[in-house]
Amino acid sequence: MVLRWFARQWLVSLGLLLYMWAGLATPERALRALQSGSNMLLSVVILVVSVMGLVGLVQVWISRDAVARLLGKEAGPKALLLAALCGTLLIGPSYVIFPLLMTVRKQGARWAVVTIVLAAYAVKLPMIPLEVGFLGWPFSLARSFLTLMFAIPTGLLVERLMPDSNKHETLEI
Amino acid sequence: MITTGLIYLTLVTVLYLIGFRKDPEKGRQSLLAARQTLWRMIPLLLAIFALIGLFQEFVPPEMIHTWLGSENHLLSLLNGGLVGAIAIGPPVAAFPIASSFIDTGAWPPAAAAFIVSWVSVGVVSLPVEAHVFGWRFALWRNIITFFAALLIGLLIGGLV
Repeated sequence: MVLRWFARQWLVSLGLLLYMWAGLATPERALRALQSGSNMLLSVVILVVSVMGLVGLVQVWISRDAVARLLGKEAGPKALLLAALCGTLLIGPSYVIFPLLMTVRKQGARWAVVTIVLAAYAVKLPMIPLEVGFLGWPFSLARSFLTLMFAIPTGLLVERLMPDSNKHETLEI
Repeated sequence: MITTGLIYLTLVTVLYLIGFRKDPEKGRQSLLAARQTLWRMIPLLLAIFALIGLFQEFVPPEMIHTWLGSENHLLSLLNGGLVGAIAIGPPVAAFPIASSFIDTGAWPPAAAAFIVSWVSVGVVSLPVEAHVFGWRFALWRNIITFFAALLIGLLIGGLV
């Protein structure tokens, strides 16, 4: 039972093994690694809890019909544009966006929508002022424009590579 | 990151308040669903941050920096994409790092490929992505996005 849990949560097992190895080799550096890791985790706790709150809201309030209508096959190209817009506006690290997107996917959104959101997400609209500060307007504008241009083809390509039916998917978040 | 967190928290709290006013039962269900998802994500999040800590301690930035000092433009473009794919850290950090690459003589398209790849390709977060979406999706998405990042970098060289 315990062994099965560690096999399923293999990332946890990997982390534990690496830390054991680092701890034996260089205890101080392993401790420093643990400290910087936990500092970063603490800095995103509020964010993680809030986004999970959002996942709960989406699951209960947004009906499958509505998602399928807006982001499913039947919505046509509009769904793809909407996905690009959502991706541009989203903020936060990707590992909290994944469960949110999977929830939307389970409610009937296309694979292309999930991919386009993740691609357009690289635009980082809320952070553009920062990019301009470091790299200048021409660079920032060209990068955002091209990222958006590539988002939809990327989404459609990934969707073509996915099986049509839902039976192979692991739906465990 | 804390500001981002507070923005999300405010937004979600307002949505919950509206939800509870409209239908307390559905509000309660949302909270339960949220708790369930959070609970299932906790081991994964702990593992990821523990690994990020190890990465930061054992893979110093100078090491990444030397990869981009290549004379060969195409090689530095590829390296930019690769470094962005492997490195982890907050998206905000990509801009100052890319700017320091350019200052030290990196080819601007390589810096652009680095940013796009940093934000949307994640080798380290691949296990999490696969855990949530399945391996097939995670692998294809990351591979295709990686090549898109290289192309975007190249085109920026033509535009800027």
